[in-house]
Amino acid sequence: MIAYILLAFLNGTVIGTSRAINGRLGAEVGSFKASLWNHLIGFLFLTPALLLMGGWKFDVLPEAPLSAYIGGFFGALFVAVNSYIFPRLGAMNAVLLVISGQMITAVLIDYRNQGVPPTAIRCLGVIIVLLGVYLTRVSSASRAKDKSP
Amino acid sequence: MIGRSKDWLLAIGGGALLALMINYNSLLAKHTTPMFASWVAHGLGAVAALALVVLYSRVFRSADKAGDARREKIPLWFYLGGIPGTFTVILAAVTVNSSLSLSGTIALMLLGQVLFGIVSDHFGLFRTPKRRTVPADILGALCVLTGSALIIFGRA
Repeated sequence: MIAYILLAFLNGTVIGTSRAINGRLGAEVGSFKASLWNHLIGFLFLTPALLLMGGWKFDVLPEAPLSAYIGGFFGALFVAVNSYIFPRLGAMNAVLLVISGQMITAVLIDYRNQGVPPTAIRCLGVIIVLLGVYLTRVSSASRAKDKSP
Repeated sequence: MIGRSKDWLLAIGGGALLALMINYNSLLAKHTTPMFASWVAHGLGAVAALALVVLYSRVFRSADKAGDARREKIPLWFYLGGIPGTFTVILAAVTVNSSLSLSGTIALMLLGQVLFGIVSDHFGLFRTPKRRTVPADILGALCVLTGSALIIFGRA
């Protein structure tokens, strides 16, 4: 159990590493190119992994609905946006705001997919997340004021 | 510095894009496997990103040239951010199928990301700018993590 907890936690740091490097590249070549490199290298890296595992599933691809294929487009836009904001906001603020947008949108997507309104606990969660966003904003504004002459 | 509402809104919008991405990629993974779905999504994402690069360079030609002139100084590892990104799929596949399940996996991944952010800002990891963490930052992080935990575990 502890091993799984560590693995899931490690996954978070792996995500952070990827976004930090993409943000660094984005500062040099531009966010859209950083997104292109991210997807190209990821694609090339996954290819031998799939070859080794024999995990090709081309035969079942036509069974998936058309909407199953638009995730890559949102991914391309996401990496570009993240590469742009990462060096501007810093790792912590960037990740906090992305998580906030992600969690709130997830509640809305679940509402749409399941047709059931979010529970009271989830609504409370959204309010606390928004409070966190507000605090992040306040702390950054006060820090910026400290720095200015 | 203070007038960065655009960055803030973009970051939150980025989170929305991420949620949409996961929603549709999971649909593909349900019909195939997580790894194969990630491969397809990376391939289609590369095509989409290429289209965005071409579109962007058509609209803002001058900005693009500035980037080109500096390219020779860039170390190779700057280009390899896509590799750790792919490990996410493999690690998540392992932990989602353990007793942690999806909700526990997501919660711990968020915690890992936030703690990584604090450490990264403190030490300026991967040559990113160093940033001091103030108590209000920690409080904000606690709120976002607590709220997220309520959203993750508070499903009907």
